[in-house]
Amino acid sequence: MKRLFAILPIFLLLLSCSRDDVIEPIPYENPEIPLNIPAGFPSLNSSVNGNKPTKFGVQLGEKLFQEKMFSANNTISCASCHQPSNAFSDNHAQALGIYDRVGLRNTPPVQNMAFMKFYNWDGNILQLEKQPLVPIITHEEMDSSILEVINKISAVNDYKNLFKKAFGDENITPERIYRSIAQYEYTLISANSKYDKVKRNEGAIFTESEARGYQVFKIKCENCHSTELFTDQSFRNVGFPVNPSTEEAGRARITGIPADYMRFRVPSLRNVEHTAPYGSFGQFPTLEAVLDYFNNGVLDADNLDPILKENGNRIPLTEQEKQDVISFMKTLSDNTFVGKQWL
Amino acid sequence: MKNLKNYLIISAFSLALVSCSKSDDIPIANNITLHFDNTFKNTTIVLGDAASSSATTNTSAKGQVHHFSELKYVISNIRLIKADGSEFPYNVNNLDQGATVINHSKSQTLDYVLSNIPAGEYKQIKFGLGVKPELNTLDQTKFPKFYTEAGANDTEMMWEWGTGYRFTKLEGFYDTDNKEMSIHTGSTVEGTEGAYTQGVDAYRDITLDLTTNAVVGRKAPKITIKADFDKLLSGKTNTITLSTGTGMGDNATPNIHTAAQMVKFVDNLGGNGSSDLSGMFSISSVEN
Repeated sequence: MKRLFAILPIFLLLLSCSRDDVIEPIPYENPEIPLNIPAGFPSLNSSVNGNKPTKFGVQLGEKLFQEKMFSANNTISCASCHQPSNAFSDNHAQALGIYDRVGLRNTPPVQNMAFMKFYNWDGNILQLEKQPLVPIITHEEMDSSILEVINKISAVNDYKNLFKKAFGDENITPERIYRSIAQYEYTLISANSKYDKVKRNEGAIFTESEARGYQVFKIKCENCHSTELFTDQSFRNVGFPVNPSTEEAGRARITGIPADYMRFRVPSLRNVEHTAPYGSFGQFPTLEAVLDYFNNGVLDADNLDPILKENGNRIPLTEQEKQDVISFMKTLSDNTFVGKQWL
Repeated sequence: MKNLKNYLIISAFSLALVSCSKSDDIPIANNITLHFDNTFKNTTIVLGDAASSSATTNTSAKGQVHHFSELKYVISNIRLIKADGSEFPYNVNNLDQGATVINHSKSQTLDYVLSNIPAGEYKQIKFGLGVKPELNTLDQTKFPKFYTEAGANDTEMMWEWGTGYRFTKLEGFYDTDNKEMSIHTGSTVEGTEGAYTQGVDAYRDITLDLTTNAVVGRKAPKITIKADFDKLLSGKTNTITLSTGTGMGDNATPNIHTAAQMVKFVDNLGGNGSSDLSGMFSISSVEN
C-alpha cells in the first residue's frame, strides 16, 4: 500500500507533464509568413491575428483551395469558381456549382480579404475561417459535408504530411481545413497595379484618358469606392435590377433591418477589368453597361442610396467621361496578381 | 488490510440495502414521453398538396384560408422543473441526445422520449424552439447524429448560408387560389450572446406549466404538447397578412421577406421572449 502511495504522485506528475504537451507548438520549421500591408489599405480584419499565415499553412490552404474532392462528385473545387485569372472570380453571371446548379449570386473575387470587415455580397460572414464550410454543404455549390471531405482527403498521403507540417501532427480536423484555407486567402493581396505604381512614384504615369478618368472618378465614384481598396465596405441599395429569386433580400436577409433591403456590399474595384459580369447576380456584362445604367437612371426605392436620390436617381456621365473612367478603372488591374501561376 | 475487509463488508451490506429498497420502492429514474400534437386550433393537422381535399384548412384573423404540405420544427434545450423548483436539464448541451426534429409527416418523430429522468414530481417544462446560439453551428464532428437527422434530403433543416440549423420549415398554400407559402426561420446572429454584432436570433425559449404534475417513478408519464399553428398568422404578438411578390413587405416565400419579416413569424410561433413565453405551445394533457 505504501509503495502505491509513493508511486501515485510521480504518476500524477507525469500526467500533468503530458497535459502541457497537448498545446500544439508551432514547429520551428514552419515560419510565419509576414503579410505585406500596402500603404493606405484599411487595417487587418481582427481574425488575421488569430490565424497568422504560416509557410505550410498557406501551402496546405492553397492545395485545399484546388481540391475537387470537396464536392460530392469530385468535380468542383474552390478554384472552380474563384479562378486566379479572374482575380479569383469567374465569368458567369451567377455561380455554377455541382451538376451545373446555378447559385443565387455572382461569384465574389477573393482578393485583399485580410483587409475586409465583411464577406459575401450581404456580409453574412465576418471571419474568413467561417466561410469554407458554406460552399461545402450548399446544394448548389459542392453539396458535400465536412466529414465526407475529411474522409476523402485522409486517404491522400500528401495531405497527411502537409497537415503535419502545418499543424504539428497528421490529424485532419474541420478547424484546420478552415484555418489553412483562410491563411492562403489572407496572402492573396493585390496592390501592384499601374495605379499603385503611379501612386508610389515608380515611374509609371497615367495616360491622358486615365488621368481625366481619375478626376471624374474622384467626383462621381469615390464617395462609395473609397480608400485604397476602392470600397468603403458599406452596404448600399444603388437601384440595380433586382434578382428575381425569392431567396434574395440583400443585406436585410441577415440583419432584419428593413432599410437593408436589397442593399449589397460596395465591391472593391481592384482588378475590376477581370471580374465581369458585374452586379450581385451578374446583371451587367461589361463596365460600359454599368456606367450606361448609372447615367440613364437607376430603379427607385425607399432606401435608395441618398447620394443617388440627391442626383435624380442617376450618375450623369458623358460618353467621354465613361470612356475615361473605364480607362482609369483598368489601371487597377494587377497583372502580377491575375497572371501569376498558382500551384 | 483489516480495515479494507471491513469496508468491503460494509459496502456489500449497503449494496444489499439499496437493492432491497429498489424492489420495494419506486425506481430511481424513468422515461418521460413528449408527444407533439400539431393543430389548427383544436384540430390535429392533416397535410396535403395544393389540390388536396383531405388537408386541414385554417382561416387567419385576416381571413386568409391556408393549409400546409410540410411542417417541421426543432426542439432542444429541454429542462424539467421539479415541484420544489429545482431544474433538471436534459442533455441541453448535446444536440445528439437532447434535440430533435419534429416532422409532422413522420409520426414517429411526434413522440420524443426523454430517458433516465430522475424519479419525482415535475410541475413545469422548458424547451427551446430552435437551437440556442452557442450550439447553432453546423458542427458535424460534435453532433453527427443531429447533423444527419437535420440534413437528410427529406428533412432539409439546415440553413447553409447561415451555417446554422433551420428552426421551423413550413410549406403550404394560401388564399382560394392556393398561392405557395414557404416560411423558414433560423438565426443569422454573429458574435457572442449579449454582444451580437449583426443579425437576428430566431431561437425562442418556451415555458409551459404542466396541467397536473408529471410523476416520474414506477410509471413513465406522457406529456402532450399542443403546437397550435393557427398562431402562425394570428398570434399573440402579430396579426399577419400573407402577400406574394418581390417587395420588401412580401412574406409568403422564404427569405424574400427580410429577417425582420421572419421575426414576426418567429414571435408568433415561439413567443416574443418577454411578455409571451409560450407562443403557439400549450400543455394538452399529462398522463401519469
